[in-house]
Amino acid sequence: MADLIALVLLLAITAYSTAGGVDFGAGIWDLLAGTSSRGRQARALIDHAMAPVWEVNNVWLVLSIVLCWTAFPSLFEATFSSLYPLFTLALLGLILRGAFFAFRHVADDPRSHRIADVVFGVSSVLTPFFFAASLGAIASGRVGSGTPLEASFNPMTVAFGVVSVAATAFSGASFLVGDARRYEAPEMVAYFQRRVVAAGTALIATGTGALIVIASQAPSLLRSMLTGPGLPFALLTMVLTPVVTALVWRGIFRWYRISTVAAVGSLVFAWGFAQAPYLLPDRLTIAQAIAPPATQFVLLLVAAGVVILAVPAMGVLYYLDQRSTLESPQA
Amino acid sequence: MDVLLGLAGESALLPSRIQMAFTLATHVLLVPLGVAFPTLTLVMEGIGIARNDPVALRIARRWSVVMAVQFAVGAVTGTILSFEFGILWPRLMGRFGAALGLGFAIEGLAFFLEAIFIGIYLYGWKRLAPKTHFLLGLVLPPSGVLGTFAVLSANSFMNTPAGITVLEGRVIDIDAAATLFTESIGYEFWHFMVALYMTAGFAVASVYAVGWLRGRRDHYQRLAFAVPFTIAAALTPVQLVVGDLSARALVEDQQAKFAAMEITWATRDHNPEVIGGVIDDSGQIHFGVVVPELDSLLVGYSPNAVIRGLSTFAVDARPTIVEANITHLAFDVMVGLGLVGAALASSYFWVLARRRRLPEGVWFYRLAACAGVGCYVAVEMGWITTEVGRQPWIVYGLMRVSDAVTDAPASYVWTMLATLVVVYALLAYFFVTLLVKLAARWRREDLAPEVGAPYGPRPERLEARG
Repeated sequence: MADLIALVLLLAITAYSTAGGVDFGAGIWDLLAGTSSRGRQARALIDHAMAPVWEVNNVWLVLSIVLCWTAFPSLFEATFSSLYPLFTLALLGLILRGAFFAFRHVADDPRSHRIADVVFGVSSVLTPFFFAASLGAIASGRVGSGTPLEASFNPMTVAFGVVSVAATAFSGASFLVGDARRYEAPEMVAYFQRRVVAAGTALIATGTGALIVIASQAPSLLRSMLTGPGLPFALLTMVLTPVVTALVWRGIFRWYRISTVAAVGSLVFAWGFAQAPYLLPDRLTIAQAIAPPATQFVLLLVAAGVVILAVPAMGVLYYLDQRSTLESPQA
Repeated sequence: MDVLLGLAGESALLPSRIQMAFTLATHVLLVPLGVAFPTLTLVMEGIGIARNDPVALRIARRWSVVMAVQFAVGAVTGTILSFEFGILWPRLMGRFGAALGLGFAIEGLAFFLEAIFIGIYLYGWKRLAPKTHFLLGLVLPPSGVLGTFAVLSANSFMNTPAGITVLEGRVIDIDAAATLFTESIGYEFWHFMVALYMTAGFAVASVYAVGWLRGRRDHYQRLAFAVPFTIAAALTPVQLVVGDLSARALVEDQQAKFAAMEITWATRDHNPEVIGGVIDDSGQIHFGVVVPELDSLLVGYSPNAVIRGLSTFAVDARPTIVEANITHLAFDVMVGLGLVGAALASSYFWVLARRRRLPEGVWFYRLAACAGVGCYVAVEMGWITTEVGRQPWIVYGLMRVSDAVTDAPASYVWTMLATLVVVYALLAYFFVTLLVKLAARWRREDLAPEVGAPYGPRPERLEARG
């Protein structure tokens, strides 16, 4: 049962990385869109694509945090005692992002619009960076051993952070291609096609770089990733990322979004499965940290509730989002 | 390097307490509308469908936009809180996470449902048949109730912990039902639930009370005032009873907190009620109105009822004098506001019953315009009463606040606090500006209410903004 709960936690983290990643990625492209007329058009598309989902993805983040402290209290205590600098920075990014996304709809003059755009964009880069960096810190084995500063800022945290920025940019671009197609804006489709290719390439490059960093910093994790239970997922992401890039490049718009999610999700799974059964490498296992049985039981009930109630409801929301449009102002 | 980045220094207890108080006090302001606004909106939509009244439907649809924007802000401040448990109080969660987390996990599910169904509600106005739309909306009120129960369950565990077996500082066994339903959950839940609906009702109505004072008195205004105001006013007498029951339950369950609320120093019968006033560290009471015997009478319906005094608790196990005074004054303000609200509610129902119409006096609407703010103040005061009154404990009798705090240095937490204050101020400014702009636009032109809101269905065509 303990392993099942650890899997649920990993799934929640993965859901945030993929669903939230699409959102953060859109923010990154917003930052890079510039002020040209085409950039403005791209930004309008991003705005429309994000409006329905902004902050709903927070649900996955909150679920991950709550699952962590309820199911594995000692993991939670150790992680936050060590990594509070990273979490503070990620949190700051999260608030600024939400606040300035809303502010874009309030600002009247172009200058404050520009400021809102920049803050929104920069925080869209920093938030996933610092969240992923905390996973890197855990993987590095420094949680609970070094000072908070050493645990929070080292090659592993930077490597995980950089990969996550590339991965979110990749998923963001891939889904924006879809949004541009829905709005029948061929210019924007081409615009984001190029960005999928760029981000896919960046993801492959940074991913390779990260493997080198892991090899030097946490060799046992790399071994498990390449020979142990992490292998299928590591392989999957290594195959899918170039495949999606190629598909989108050639303009074959089939399965590219679901494959993007699978590629990014496998990335998280590769780390999670490679590290199992350790929550903190060589320090704390799932069995050592797990909460008493009654708590596990309640958590599984909640997880079942999410699957039975929330997931179908999400389907309805998605359906309505695809179908419903506002009446246009002239109507 | 550590010194340079402010990662060395003294204990972060004080800034951590201030930061938690600040962020919780902010979040609590968003809770009443977050939980109860959907119900008000659904009642309005129900009226619109039943009476075939397009005005009621327009009000409901506009409210749903405000509801969604405010929910998004609440989601952000709530996420911050969940991280603060780790950043500021890692030991609390390390020791009691398995117990406290039960409530929060259930709240996670409720939050999930709310987020999705608010989305469905917002998108469904155009897409779904009116009855389907209304029925799907009915998921929202119970989700809000479930979430409120779950968070209060965690809070009541901190006040009256139960259901856990601790060995060497580690929770080794849990009785889930006993942990979720501790002694204080009953009154905490009903008292807060009623408070949320009252606050939401009075707050929404107060907007239209201001409109009335400014001369807007058409069907739209009257309907949008009457529905939330009637619900809130009907709950006000209920709250007096529930509040009274809660306070008297504390006499047994949370004796130190009750002694602080009434600033009772020595255990005694014939205990007077001190209204206002403060206590000093020798147990003397200054200022305030002292009503002889009243406290004993209220608690046990007899002047012989015995109240336990603060001085009977060990110095390090009871609120300090300052904390006791804060608890006492906050409690008095809350009760006072409750009584004013009851007076306002009775005058409303008096006019309604006698003349079969809404009141028309300027003073009634002036008071009604203040009722929303008054309720928010009362909610804050009630929350201060229960939290400050529990000091110095974070989990009563089991863990002190000072033992739960992070090892991060004070300078770090001070910096974080200062940053949060600035960011929250920005957030509040954006939020208010957005609402004011939406309201102005709605008065000016009859667009789809979602135009210009940062959350909701997207427009049909892609248009670059200016």
